[in-house]
Amino acid sequence: MPDVSKMKKPDVKVVLLGDMHVGKTSLLHRYTERKFKDTTSTVGGAFFLKQWGPYNISIWDTAGREQFHGLGSMYCRGAAAVILTYDVTNWQSLSELEERFLSLTDTANHDCIYAIVGNKADLTDPKAQLSPNSDSFSEDQTDIVEDRTEPQVLSACPTPPASPTSLSGVVPRKQVSREDAMALYGRILRYKGLDEKSSLPADKMCFETSAKTGYNVDALFETLFDLVLPSILRKRHENHESPTVDLEDCRGSGKRVRSSCC
Amino acid sequence: MSVKAFELVPAVERDLLMGDKARINIECIECCGKHLYVGTNDCFIHHFLLDEVASPMGKLSYSAQKLLNKYLGLKKPVAELRAASALERLIVLCDGMVFLVDMVTLESVPSAAGGGVKIRGVIAFCVNENPVNGDPFCVEMAILSSKRRTVQIYMVHKDRVQLVKEVSTPEQPCALSLDGYFLCLALTTQYMILNYNTGASQDLFPYNSEERRPIVKRISREEFLLAAPGGLGMFANAEGVSQRAPVSWSESVIAAAVSFPYVVALDENFITIHSMLDQQLKQTLSFRDGHILQDFEGKVILASTKAVYVLVPLPLERQIQDLLASHRVEEALMLMEGAQRNIPKDKFQVLHRRILQRAGFIQFGKLQFQEAKDHFRKGELDVRELISLYPLLLPASSSFTRFHPPLHEFADLNHLAQGDQEKVLQCKRFLISYLKEVRSTEVVNGCREDVDTALLKLYAEQDHDSLLDLLASENACVLADSVPCLEKYHKYFALGLLYHYNGQDSAALQVWTRVVNGDLQDSTRSDLFDYIVDFLCCCSNLDLVWKYADWALQKDSTKGVHIFIRRPLSTDQSELNPDKVITYLGKNKQALLLYLEHLVLEKKIQKEKFHTHLAVLYLERVLSLLSDSSADAEPLTKARERLQAFLRESNLYRVQFLLGKIEDCEQLLLERATLHGKLEEHDKALHILVHKLRDFPSAEAFCVWASSGRDPAYRQRLFHLLLEEYLGGEPRVGGGGELEMAAVDVLNRHGEVFDAVRVLRVLPESWSLQLLRPFLNRAIRASMHARHTSQIAVGLAHSENVQLLHDRLKERKKPIFVSEKKGCHLCHNTFKEPDVVCLPGGVPVHTHCVAQRIKDSPTKRHLTNSSNHT
Repeated sequence: MPDVSKMKKPDVKVVLLGDMHVGKTSLLHRYTERKFKDTTSTVGGAFFLKQWGPYNISIWDTAGREQFHGLGSMYCRGAAAVILTYDVTNWQSLSELEERFLSLTDTANHDCIYAIVGNKADLTDPKAQLSPNSDSFSEDQTDIVEDRTEPQVLSACPTPPASPTSLSGVVPRKQVSREDAMALYGRILRYKGLDEKSSLPADKMCFETSAKTGYNVDALFETLFDLVLPSILRKRHENHESPTVDLEDCRGSGKRVRSSCC
Repeated sequence: MSVKAFELVPAVERDLLMGDKARINIECIECCGKHLYVGTNDCFIHHFLLDEVASPMGKLSYSAQKLLNKYLGLKKPVAELRAASALERLIVLCDGMVFLVDMVTLESVPSAAGGGVKIRGVIAFCVNENPVNGDPFCVEMAILSSKRRTVQIYMVHKDRVQLVKEVSTPEQPCALSLDGYFLCLALTTQYMILNYNTGASQDLFPYNSEERRPIVKRISREEFLLAAPGGLGMFANAEGVSQRAPVSWSESVIAAAVSFPYVVALDENFITIHSMLDQQLKQTLSFRDGHILQDFEGKVILASTKAVYVLVPLPLERQIQDLLASHRVEEALMLMEGAQRNIPKDKFQVLHRRILQRAGFIQFGKLQFQEAKDHFRKGELDVRELISLYPLLLPASSSFTRFHPPLHEFADLNHLAQGDQEKVLQCKRFLISYLKEVRSTEVVNGCREDVDTALLKLYAEQDHDSLLDLLASENACVLADSVPCLEKYHKYFALGLLYHYNGQDSAALQVWTRVVNGDLQDSTRSDLFDYIVDFLCCCSNLDLVWKYADWALQKDSTKGVHIFIRRPLSTDQSELNPDKVITYLGKNKQALLLYLEHLVLEKKIQKEKFHTHLAVLYLERVLSLLSDSSADAEPLTKARERLQAFLRESNLYRVQFLLGKIEDCEQLLLERATLHGKLEEHDKALHILVHKLRDFPSAEAFCVWASSGRDPAYRQRLFHLLLEEYLGGEPRVGGGGELEMAAVDVLNRHGEVFDAVRVLRVLPESWSLQLLRPFLNRAIRASMHARHTSQIAVGLAHSENVQLLHDRLKERKKPIFVSEKKGCHLCHNTFKEPDVVCLPGGVPVHTHCVAQRIKDSPTKRHLTNSSNHT
């Protein structure tokens, strides 16, 4: 829940991007609240401050709706990590990442790291139906397939390899393989003009998760947090070097702070 | 969801502005202190004085007094008004022209250069509230010129305006805001940040300003609030980064303002209020024909087309109380902490604490103890507020009254738990752990008694182990309350501790002895009697010691006497000296014995009186056991061993006195022998041992004991005495052989102490050599050994002597001349032989003369003796 930490200045920013209904809010919610609950479509964006060791990491949950698409590059500005999220049962959601969302990340830091996350793995992968940690999700697991309210129909689309079974709504087929995601990762590196050898390997940066069961969720966030630490240190170092006095630090004084006095 | 954060209060009613003229509408407003300026579509500026009136109920209202209205003469609506109070000017935008009017007279200001101060072709303007230029008598203003795609920066002085900068924009701007060097602009298709100093720009996000009216609102230093697609209120700072999550408005928002921590937005029918802290919608007010919403120095003012209203924020405290009243603790705390900088520091602290406390109680009511504890601690709760929830825990003497207004809604714990005993128990456990933690901190300053007493009551009731720790350490339990409580729960041992802590040892002992006596039941300590004895050992009140010593000795004299034995040595010697104790213990033999043993054996007090007394007590015990024919042999043996050991080891008791006591007792011969030994009447002792007891090993042991620490001659004498006892006297029929065997044994065993020659003289002729072989062997060997040793000694002495002589001669280095002509100094005859003796001084004399002289000297006898000896 929002708490005092809201008032603290974040050291680094992580942004969740992806088409609507892929489960960005649920992923964040699973990680921060340790549970899965019904979420409504995110309006605009929301953010959460995570204390990671001595650092504050702000995690921005963006709105996937087309309507808010224009805000994306603002959210991405200065981001140290971007989590590109798709739905493993929906091929379209993966291709949207490349077509629509990748360009939003142009405003991110030049050393920004990218993770590609296929959510809803519990629908297709038996091992994702059990949470890796011992948290009790028993009530969640009883009806994994049935009570899923996600409108598959909406996002299902005829792009290859489209599957007619997803319309039946019984057992959605896995439409995106991990290899597809890894291939996308490679294309992202090329888009960014990064050398594949000196970048983080696709194998490490592609995840399949389930916000519903908690599968791989902690691993995703914690891997990213560990990877952005150097970025924080560099940022702190730069701040330290700069001759500017951080006026935000001396709180309590008025909001109008001028360098010259009159 | 809903919080009442604001109240809409009318400020200027319709009749004051335009009366019933239907066509006249409000176009813009400006408020500066109490001065309210309203611009209308008929080119008038109305000037009001706006006074706050607080009703006795605390409700705020406004009274507006019309000061002036002024027609600007342009027949066009007054589009914007801005006050520059330092310059006493109003900046007016009307008919595409910006010009200055006097704030008081509303007269147009003539330019210093003559004519009016005017800027033409203006679409919109804004004033920099955070100018980089620090000159207080000049206002920085940015205008959107009808000249395409430019923004102009002007400095406004009292009587002139000066263009300082002109920057071009990629598209036509339609709304703007300014902070420092940063222009925040709404262009036709997007928002952007533009640094007019460096020309650097930063695109924010796309927005179709033809579809919806853009909003660009500076909300704080380098931070702007913008209307975004989808009815969002987006925050963006000068770097183009959003640091707060957006709020969700309706699509038709007209205007927005910030009144921290809220974002207020106006649409056609409603005023919506979102919190910037959690982005949630907090309040909705219905407002028809809304037209203008602006904040002026923290005051949010709205206008419909016909009237002006003020949106008065409710005191934060009230809002927070409301949240707490509906148990929205988290929200209340967030609001409090979020609004910290809007509340004076001292007031904030008081309020913050109170909210934390209330939050704590709410969580406490939900049995969320960990959270409650955190809040109580952070809120520095007066612990008694919590204690007072538990019936009868606070001492009757406590002056505590609950805080008003109440911090919670519970009458007491029973009310809270609704009769659920499990809940009550959990609450009690929580209080125990909480009090335990805080009692050592400064939180309890001033109410230590209340806290400790409450804790004691809880411990007693819950049968908690820490009760004793509490009472045994520093505490402030109130006696009047604690005593009945401890009695109620049968914690009598603890009660005693409490009395003791309060200096009432007498009462403590009274309670404890009653427990030991079985009058009261308390199983806290099974060894309570021992505890009392220990307690009396250390008790400084001697009256009490004497009083309870009787009781203790009666209960168990062996343990009871420890009251005296274990007493640490202190200054009260005179009060509790051993004589007095011995007299006191007189009747109680067992205790007396232990006490004397303690004095004599442990403390080694060298006093004849104690030693004799102890010896007599030992003796009496032996005698009493002897007289009791039914008694076992075991205790008697032990008692005798003790007696014998003591008789042997102590040298202080009165031997004659004891001897007198056992003289006629035929059973204590060994003891008699020992006593005789003490008196050095060894013959009597040995006689008893050899002839009466016929206990030969004891006789030998006696010789060894009696001669221990003496010279060998003494021991030899004793052994010879023993031998005489064995051999002397008329050989009895039958028994004679036994004595002789004893004699042989002692000779063979202790041969080394005897003088062999003397022994051989007294031995009967008839004894075979074989019988005495070990003795003789040893004797001869000893004799040989002695001889050899002496020879070696002589040799060594001789060599030492020669050595010394040599040294001496060397030392003197003076030849002694002996010739036939020289005479001996002793006999005055001449020397005939070279052998001479030198007297001290190097005088040569005859050898025989010296020998003669030594014979005559007084040391003669000594010399002969010693020569014999070697």
